[in-house]
Amino acid sequence: MKILKLPKANFQKFLLSLKNYGEVHIPKKKSEESYVFAPMEDPSEVALEYLRTIIPPKKYFFKPKESIFHYGDGNHFNEHIEDIDKKIVLFGLHPCDIHGLKILDIVFGTGYIDKYYFARRRNVLIIGLSCMPDERCFCRSMGTDATEDGFDLFLSELKNSYLVTVGSSQGDDITNDLKDLLGEITKKDTNEYLKIRNERKKRFKLQLDISDLPYILELQRESEVWDDLGKKCLCCGSCSMVCPTCSCFNVYDNLSLDTKKGERIRQWDSCLFKDYAVVAGGHNFRANRADRVRNRYYHKQHGFVTQFGKPSCTGCGRCIQYCPTQIHVVEVFNKIRGEE
Amino acid sequence: MTKKPKIGIFGLTSCAGDQLAILNCEDELLTIADAFDILDWEMAKTNNDKVTELDIAFVEGVVAQTRDLEALQAIRKRSKLLVAIGTCAVWGGVAAMKNQIPREILKKEVYGEEINVVDSVEALPVRSFVKTDILLPGCPIEKEQFLQIAASLLHGDLPELLNFSVCSECKMRENACLVVEKGEICCGALTVSGCNARCPSHNIPCGGCHGPIEEVHYDANYTMFAQRGITKEEIQTKMSNFAAPAWMGQKLLSEIK
Repeated sequence: MKILKLPKANFQKFLLSLKNYGEVHIPKKKSEESYVFAPMEDPSEVALEYLRTIIPPKKYFFKPKESIFHYGDGNHFNEHIEDIDKKIVLFGLHPCDIHGLKILDIVFGTGYIDKYYFARRRNVLIIGLSCMPDERCFCRSMGTDATEDGFDLFLSELKNSYLVTVGSSQGDDITNDLKDLLGEITKKDTNEYLKIRNERKKRFKLQLDISDLPYILELQRESEVWDDLGKKCLCCGSCSMVCPTCSCFNVYDNLSLDTKKGERIRQWDSCLFKDYAVVAGGHNFRANRADRVRNRYYHKQHGFVTQFGKPSCTGCGRCIQYCPTQIHVVEVFNKIRGEE
Repeated sequence: MTKKPKIGIFGLTSCAGDQLAILNCEDELLTIADAFDILDWEMAKTNNDKVTELDIAFVEGVVAQTRDLEALQAIRKRSKLLVAIGTCAVWGGVAAMKNQIPREILKKEVYGEEINVVDSVEALPVRSFVKTDILLPGCPIEKEQFLQIAASLLHGDLPELLNFSVCSECKMRENACLVVEKGEICCGALTVSGCNARCPSHNIPCGGCHGPIEEVHYDANYTMFAQRGITKEEIQTKMSNFAAPAWMGQKLLSEIK
């Protein structure tokens, strides 16, 4: 692991130089309370204060809606992967979002390898950025408040500079190319980093104890908490869309009018939608809202844990910020734990 | 289908906007005319065949006059499949907005005491009277959805229309939520998708023009708005613009108890 220093005076030059490695995407302000990752037109647009974007970085690898192949024209089919060769530099991912991608790597890489996802994964450079939590962040409880891998470079903010951690050979190449902008770290920088780190640790207000959560969930399958939640949840799917690890999709065909050609589309789906668990013959395994909401919670903190050894929640706080009926994931689990 | 399906496109009381949306499929119109045998389409052609049995009838509009009902029953009788197109045909649309006020009062208010020859009955959607096989809401319908239905039917399939609310499409477009951030009366969570969240993407709250999703959670919606100081009456007025017959009868759990 190599750590260098980027003085803040060189930051804009650094951002501009990233254009040599692909189309640079940065966090931008979208509205009073919301941010999005979008292409950088000018380095001054970068919203370094942002904490979470509406849609997480998954949109770069697993698009909300995309055509995955065309068929017809003499029994052939053409695999069509939009922008498959496009090089992108994605700047500004906080540790929780880098963990989100690491979880998606498991989802899309276990059993059947999703080539659409991984083709894009290879073409996008990840540059991380440190952060200070707000009242909705509980990444510390999920063990996703820091990351040692999953990035090409990671910038940790100090008062007048950034510590730049190299996380890949491509990241190393960038630091070699940009060595004029970078310097050596000093003992003073290290002390400053430790001070900020300790301060950050104290800033986490929201906590979720997940030590034995899968067991408690197993015991609480019939809890009235789920019925109450079913009464509150619109099943609008907003939480699934904004979740960094929700990765369900629907697959359907768009036929051409001559009925000889078509394209296969995949589009984000949500287990909260009424039709999600409908099977041939019309039976719906989760016809009730309460069952569907419970399923989503169990997937994150029970099913994924027992299969892969960790929850598929990163504690990013997006579902808390964007739920129209103010359902709060931590409050729900605290109720389930009997710790209201 | 090996033979060209025989089709008719019809309008009951309506603004003809859905038929216009079909005519606006300019790039595809010749293909449509080639793929289907269009026997009866008053709005678009002369020499219409009014008797031959149809494979598919597309019907726009609402039953708001007694002659609408007669026309609709005749269309149903001669058609194997009936596709209700547009929010009027599916939910009642704008014409049904004031259904709770008796027709006699409405007639007098609009036409005065003197005129008593207006044929006007309570406005109700096509599916209140006849069996419908496919429902395509929209005010007007979305071109892409119409073409998908047409292609599926040509292929011999029933189309699969997505059955989730505008919120998901809105999130996929990464819009800031107008309810969460601005406390506006946005009908997105109640309204079926298909428009790709057109209005919220322009910072205009969803007006519910596609009509409700299959399973609307009235109580949770009322609570959501109430948390932001919006009354039930305000919500109901807004929701009733396009699908009043669906909304007006809704009671909250708290009211039923």
